[in-house]
Amino acid sequence: MILRQAVAGGLLAIAALALSGGARAAASSPGDASAVGEAIYRQGVLASGAPLEGMRQQGAPGGGLATRGGDAACVNCHLRSGLGSISTDRRVSIPPIAGQYLYQPRTMKAGDHDLPYVENVKADREPYTDALLARAIRDGIDSDGKPLGALMPRFAIGDADMAALIAYLKTLDRPSEPGVTDTVLHFATIITPDADPVKRRGMLDVLKQFFADKNAFPFGPTPHLHSSGKGIYSKSLYMANRRWQLHVWELSGAPDTWNAQLEQYLAKEPVFAVLSGLGGSNWAPVHAFCEREALPCLFPNVEVPVVADRDFYSLYFSKGVLLEAGLIARAITDAGADAAPAVRSVQQVYRSGDSGEPAARALTAALQRSGINVHSQALPASATGKRLAEALRKVSKDDTLVLWLRPDDLAALGEPPAATVYMSGLMGGLERAPLPAAWRSRVRMAYPFDLPDARVVRVDYPLGWFSFRHIPVVAEQVQVDTYLACGLLAETLSHSADTFVREYLVERMEELLEHRYLTGYYPRLALAEWQRFASKGGYVVRFADASGQRLVAAHEWTVP
Amino acid sequence: MATLHILVRAGAIAALLSLLANGAARADTADAAHTRHHLKLPDAAARSTASYPIPRVQLLRADGKRVWLADELDDGRPVVLDFIYTTCTTLCPLSSQTFAALQEAPGVGHGRVHLISISIDPEQDTPDRLAEYAQHFNAGPQWQFYTGTIEASLAVQRSFRAYFGDKMSHPPLTLVRSAPGKPWVRFDGFASVDQLLGELHDQVAVR
Repeated sequence: MILRQAVAGGLLAIAALALSGGARAAASSPGDASAVGEAIYRQGVLASGAPLEGMRQQGAPGGGLATRGGDAACVNCHLRSGLGSISTDRRVSIPPIAGQYLYQPRTMKAGDHDLPYVENVKADREPYTDALLARAIRDGIDSDGKPLGALMPRFAIGDADMAALIAYLKTLDRPSEPGVTDTVLHFATIITPDADPVKRRGMLDVLKQFFADKNAFPFGPTPHLHSSGKGIYSKSLYMANRRWQLHVWELSGAPDTWNAQLEQYLAKEPVFAVLSGLGGSNWAPVHAFCEREALPCLFPNVEVPVVADRDFYSLYFSKGVLLEAGLIARAITDAGADAAPAVRSVQQVYRSGDSGEPAARALTAALQRSGINVHSQALPASATGKRLAEALRKVSKDDTLVLWLRPDDLAALGEPPAATVYMSGLMGGLERAPLPAAWRSRVRMAYPFDLPDARVVRVDYPLGWFSFRHIPVVAEQVQVDTYLACGLLAETLSHSADTFVREYLVERMEELLEHRYLTGYYPRLALAEWQRFASKGGYVVRFADASGQRLVAAHEWTVP
Repeated sequence: MATLHILVRAGAIAALLSLLANGAARADTADAAHTRHHLKLPDAAARSTASYPIPRVQLLRADGKRVWLADELDDGRPVVLDFIYTTCTTLCPLSSQTFAALQEAPGVGHGRVHLISISIDPEQDTPDRLAEYAQHFNAGPQWQFYTGTIEASLAVQRSFRAYFGDKMSHPPLTLVRSAPGKPWVRFDGFASVDQLLGELHDQVAVR
């Protein structure tokens, strides 16, 4: 029966699955039933393809607010992990609905349960049965016969769909997670072959030192935290001190071979998550791999991240050069809005295959929306400085010029052809960009970080940490970001009480990030479901002096 | 949530257990309430009244206009106000659904009440995203959405005692004011359409 209905709606469910990249569910599901269940849980789509419908009770019986489809999907509140959440003031609690939490027998004796600790669980209630669970989902009555909260809709859901959903809830139980043993937590960092070798060294120095420090503390079993044995979860409050182990996954060859390499690495060295990492101009294959394998990929150092806010596992500090394109577009259109003469023509220069290529595309699209035409010159990757000079000769004095160039190209620039020049700070080396004197006075630089003076306190701490541990600072921003990524992971795990579930790690990261004070190069960091870029804005700056690294903001902090 | 874990890490078991006991006590109270009013949901909104100083801040409305908060509040109409963010998947959709139903209610429609939703995630919630969110909830012209700088959003949250440290743990809150100068009626918890209509009823009836 379940099967038949699953087949009937199978196409849609499979399409939904493919969209959600549910490799993990497909791998762990006992059959089609839980695939249908996943579509109900995550997309609010029933086996028939019809939207899930629910009613939130309000006031008098019969009164209420209808919710349907994606708005009604379970994942909105109970989250992808199924472990729910709780608000800081404990006023709103969304309990875990992964099977084991629902079906656990009522008991207050210590040590009877080995469930991973989550604090929003309802401990003292009757265990659910499939029938009681169906009643809760349909009628909003819990296993003790009490009404569930106002947030929980009462769902109209048939028997076959209900069975599929319940089957799916049971697949959310994760008795063990890859890369997690009783004594070791395994993490990988991924480096693409086009990554900058200096940044690579700087990043690895920080990662290796952070792991060494983490493991330098005496580890081994910590004492049990419970003494009275009253709490149902007292046994799992025992938190082991696990050693952190770093696996460096270096990719080689063409991007279309990276996925196979990554799969081999993962098979050989199962890891709980990917931490930091370093890309060149193409991170898309790594992003896709992490989404497919349901592997958290936490804050890699990439200039061109994949913008897909509905993806789940990849978290980034910012949109990199794509954010810069937005900042430059905003600065150019704002210049037209003021008394200043409107920008007539924008010329941009980049090297094919470098990060400037997607950035230039993003700038063109943004400016075209404002009715400004952009002319792009793509230099071959191997082009000499002479070719660059020729390209710049095509730029006239009244043009606005945008440079997506690396320090080597910047250092070799001749006379500036245009009065107004914008450049990528990320690609050009930020305040260390080796611009010839004639360019410095007219360049406006996209700067997707807090200003140096403003971040000094937040950056001093990691810099002191590097200095104390004799880590050479060779790529400051990348190294500080790497240190920040490590710190965020450590902090999030310390707030996750040994509940090692990959989705839960991402959810906890989303929730805790906003509370972080030491945010390195960024004025603030925040995420949420459907927000994958922690820092949203940036500055456009100019050099304050004829030489040196002092910057001043030419445009205030902007979120394009 | 953070609090609990800090306690766990510090090994402060006594404190932890007393916290858990508090939770249990609260559940008991809810049970009692449940027995008395069988139909009342355990998390129905609590009503109180208060006066709040209105901060002198500019906000950015979803239509792209910069406006003064005080002007938006004091346009002569009764005001219903809440705080939302567009990527919120839990509480805000319910609040917004309640507003959506409220704007259709007899006596409230035709622009007679000003519904105001202010973003508590202003960097993410650009005017475009707010407009998209408004459309999703079929917001009519009398229901407007506001963003602005982080500082402005925080100032508004703080002045309404609606700041809870981060956007994700903001509890449900709805504020109603019948006219400029009148006190605010505050609903902590999920205010129902009927509750809000009850506050507005006298005002909209005489109009």
